[in-house]
Amino acid sequence: WEEKQVRGYPEFVQTGRSAHGRPIFALFCGDKDAEGRSWCPDCVTAEPVVRKELHNMPDESVFIYCLVGDRAYWKDPNNEFRKNLKLTGVPTLLKYGTPQKLVEEECFKAELVRMLFTED
Amino acid sequence: MGKTHSSLLISVSTRLNDQACENVQERAEWHYTDFVLSPEDGGSDGKALACGPAQCFIVSCETQPEGWRHPSFTGPAGGTAAATGKNEYDLLVIGGGSGGLACAKEAAQFGRKVAVLDYVEPSPQGTKWGLGGTCVNVGCIPKKLMHQAALLGSALKDAQHYGWNIAQPVHHTWSVMAQAVQNYVKSLNWGHRVQLQDKKVKYFNLKGSFSDSHTIRGLTKAGKETIVTAENIVIATGGRPKYPTHVAGALEYGITSDDLFWLKESPGKTLVVGASYVSLECAGFLTGIGLDTTVMMRSIPLRGFDQQMASLVTEHMESYGTKFLKRCFPTTVEKLENNRLQVTWKNTDLGTEETDSFDTVMWAVGRAPDTETLNLETVGVKTNSETGKIIVDASEATSVPHIYAVGDITEGRPELTPTAIAAGKLLAQRLFGQSSELMDYDNVPTTVFTPLEYGCVGLSEEAAVQCYGSDNIEVYHAYYKPLEFTVAERDASQCYMKMVCLREREQRILGLHFIGPNAGEVIQGFALGIKCGATYPQLMKTIGIHPTCAEEITKLHITKRSGLDATVTGC
Repeated sequence: WEEKQVRGYPEFVQTGRSAHGRPIFALFCGDKDAEGRSWCPDCVTAEPVVRKELHNMPDESVFIYCLVGDRAYWKDPNNEFRKNLKLTGVPTLLKYGTPQKLVEEECFKAELVRMLFTED
Repeated sequence: MGKTHSSLLISVSTRLNDQACENVQERAEWHYTDFVLSPEDGGSDGKALACGPAQCFIVSCETQPEGWRHPSFTGPAGGTAAATGKNEYDLLVIGGGSGGLACAKEAAQFGRKVAVLDYVEPSPQGTKWGLGGTCVNVGCIPKKLMHQAALLGSALKDAQHYGWNIAQPVHHTWSVMAQAVQNYVKSLNWGHRVQLQDKKVKYFNLKGSFSDSHTIRGLTKAGKETIVTAENIVIATGGRPKYPTHVAGALEYGITSDDLFWLKESPGKTLVVGASYVSLECAGFLTGIGLDTTVMMRSIPLRGFDQQMASLVTEHMESYGTKFLKRCFPTTVEKLENNRLQVTWKNTDLGTEETDSFDTVMWAVGRAPDTETLNLETVGVKTNSETGKIIVDASEATSVPHIYAVGDITEGRPELTPTAIAAGKLLAQRLFGQSSELMDYDNVPTTVFTPLEYGCVGLSEEAAVQCYGSDNIEVYHAYYKPLEFTVAERDASQCYMKMVCLREREQRILGLHFIGPNAGEVIQGFALGIKCGATYPQLMKTIGIHPTCAEEITKLHITKRSGLDATVTGC
């Protein structure tokens, strides 16, 4: 499997398209500052949990790590992630093209993350 | 963190409440003969457990593998440890539908070790689906959504009268609706998976059958076997649509409700065979989205329901555009060269044989439990020889101790999601929560979601007459017109309601029947009144909300006995 890091909606869409045909998992988090800390505390908690389970993804998978933007952008109810991907919160971990997703505290739970990566 | 010991996984935690401590205590004894408790826990070798308010177990083991030191007992918060000595699980539920999941999740709340087996045998046409059972996948949920799609079609027609500029006729695209419905159902499948995982309920996607009264053999599609043992087993495998037995081509060419909701392409010109609510509801929304739809009925519609109401339902469907072949039954189904289906049937009224071609033939001739593959005979679980359903007593117990059943699979129970859920929850509470409350199957409200909906609670008029005698009951009734129908110039001939009451002093309400828009929403509240033993005088004291259809119920005053015209006018 491979990881692609993107920032913002257009980059996400483009990367998603280029991975067409392979299982795509995406983790959406708030932007990180110069010290590498996200404005989103739940994202800070979730990221290591998710990273620890990445080895459970199917071999050909693509893992897109996507920074959505700053806090103000995220709070805007019309931002592209909310409108087009129907995201309701960060962090969100989803299997692209399926209704399977984990939102906020669900991402803290290793077993749920593992289930998302391994279940059909 | 865990160690296997004689094929049991003992896992570990640090957050146990008092109840869970007790649970662990009684069960852990069995394991502790092989363990040595470290003295700092206040325990002594082999037996005693320290279980204090600190809620923290520390156990050390003499023969532990390298590096394994102090496991702690785990489970959900308030949770448990390994199950009783000889059985892996406290509760094993076979069937992940409405009843099964409710029972399993409730049992898990008590800190019990619970597992669910769910497996969907593909339909003869190859349709299959995920966790959640009939209601979620091929029943209530997709049905109500497609019913809504059809209602919206009617609303679009009405909209013109209310000033909207909508080009008529309006067209419907099946695949857009189907994909949206199917995606929603899939999100429910996922939601159930997450919930089970979250509540620490073990999920197996296996087809289960009994090896003995505490052992289930689970098979994957490929035939790989897993053995699961449990102290208590709940059978909640539900039912599947029946196929007619004496109709050539029925199995090869017909579909059922299992398939209808998962079709990617429109079913086109459809024949629905059957007089059940499944048949009428499906035929209803197919008509509503603009398809040429015919219902074939051998005798009466909605057997078991109040027959006057059932007639009004079918009358409305006919005026709405559904074709009816009454007192007919099919004899053959053949496939034509253009892939259409040629159906031949007998008209018992005229004594003739007739034929027509359709794109789709859907069988809605009843549902039957799938008990054959469960191997019930091996353990002695008794079933009704006619229906195949499992016989249970008032506590959902079968003829075998520690084996229970809930939901559609049980004999003599309503085949409804809310009753299965309630029965499953109560069962878990009785088994693990020191409750003795039994399920009450009286006055269960329900609704048939035909184009004009029919909601009811309590006895039908026929049942009341049979039970009390026509002299001892009073039936109040009214034909009404929903306000929304007026401007839209809609026919309200079948908008009708009736209330069956005891005639003697108290005049307790025995049954309430309502046909009209949003019948389910209307009847739900009244079900509470009926459950509390509401009487006609109490209802008359209840002020209605205006303007609604439901308020007409509070104003019912014309009796059938009087023979007066029951049409009520608006204000």
